[in-house]
Amino acid sequence: MNDLPDAFYYEIPSTIHLPPLPALTTLVIELHSSRLSPSSYLTNVLCSIGSAPALISIVIGHSKWEHIDGIFSEDPWVDLDRWLSRIARHAEVAGGLTLTLRRWPEGKSIWEGFLPEFGESGEIKVEH
Amino acid sequence: MDSIPQELIDTIIDNVPESSLLSCSLVAKRWRRKSQRRAFDTISFSFEEDMDCWCTDIPQDSDGISSYVRRLKIEEISSWAEPALFSRMLESLSSLTTLLMDATEIPDELPGHISRGEFGNGITTLYLGHSSYTPAMMAMILSLPNLKELCIENCEVMPEGPLPTHPVTPQRRPLDSLGLYGSVDGVAEALAESQLTFGRFSSNVGITGVAQLLLVSSEMLVELKLYDSAWFLRVPRPSRDDSERSSRCFLL
Repeated sequence: MNDLPDAFYYEIPSTIHLPPLPALTTLVIELHSSRLSPSSYLTNVLCSIGSAPALISIVIGHSKWEHIDGIFSEDPWVDLDRWLSRIARHAEVAGGLTLTLRRWPEGKSIWEGFLPEFGESGEIKVEH
Repeated sequence: MDSIPQELIDTIIDNVPESSLLSCSLVAKRWRRKSQRRAFDTISFSFEEDMDCWCTDIPQDSDGISSYVRRLKIEEISSWAEPALFSRMLESLSSLTTLLMDATEIPDELPGHISRGEFGNGITTLYLGHSSYTPAMMAMILSLPNLKELCIENCEVMPEGPLPTHPVTPQRRPLDSLGLYGSVDGVAEALAESQLTFGRFSSNVGITGVAQLLLVSSEMLVELKLYDSAWFLRVPRPSRDDSERSSRCFLL
C-alpha cells in the first residue's frame, strides 16, 4: 500500500494556507513509506506553512532505509527544498535553522549537494 | 533483612521482572508495599465482570491497592451492560493519571460525572482507539480538567452515526500534546470546532484535519511531527457532509 502512487488517492488538496506559526521551534518528519521521497500530501502540508520565524530545528527521519535502495524521486525534494529555503530565510532565530537527516543511510553520495537552496541559508546535519 | 536500607529494597524491586513482583511482595512486610505499587501501577480489563470484581473486592481505602493504580486500560467493551460500572471504577482509582480506552464505548453519563468533579481530576493522559466517534467522546475530552496529552487513533464518525457535536464548556487550558493517527475522519474537524488548543501535534492523518487543527492552535504550536505514511496519504472518502467539510477547509 505504501508504494501506491499519489494519484491512486482520490484527491490531493493543495490550496490551503495556514496562518503564521510564531511559536513553532521544532518540526519532525518521519518517512514511513518504502519510498525515499516525501509524498505530495506531506509537501502540501509543509508548503501551506507560510511563516515559522522561531523554527530552529527540522528533523527528517526514515524508519525503513533497508528497503529503499534505488528508489529516489527528485521532484518532491525540489518542492521541499524551495519551502525549506524560504522558511530558513525568514527565520529570526540566532544561529539559523538546522536540518537534521536522521537515520540516513551511510555511504550514499546521493546526499552530496542535497537540498541545495536550503544549504545556502541553513545548516544540514546527517545522522546515520 | 531489617538491616537492608529501604532504598536498596526499592531499587531491587524497581529492577526485577514484572513476573517476580508477586513473589517480591511476599518476601517481607517492607517489600510488600513497593512491590504492590509496581504490580498495580497499570491494570487492564476486557470484561465487565472483572471490573465488577475489582470494584467489589478491592478495598477502596485511600492508602490501599486501588490507590496504587496510575494507568487503567479498558479494551473491547464495545457496549456496556452496566454503564455505571465505568464510573465506579474511575471513582475507585484516586491516583489515576492515564486512561487508555481501546475499542471501548464511553457511556453517555460519564462526562457529566467528570464535569461535576466527582472523579477524573487526576487524569492527564487519555488514549482513545478503534472506536466509532460519539458525542460522549468529545464531551469526555472536554470535561477532563487537567488533561495534558490526548491521543486518538482510528476513531471515525460513522456515516449513519451522529454528527460531531460537543457541549458548550468553559474555555479549558491548552493540551501539551495532541496525537491523531489512522482513520479519524470527522474527529479532527470536531476537535478543531471545539477550539481545543495544544502545544505539540503529531499525526499521520490527511491534510484536511491537520489544516483545521493547526489553524486553531497556530499561536501556541511549538512542535509539529508528521508521519509520512500510507495513512498520511489517506484523505476522507466522500460522505454525506464531505462537500461541506472540504469547502470549509479549502477556504482557510
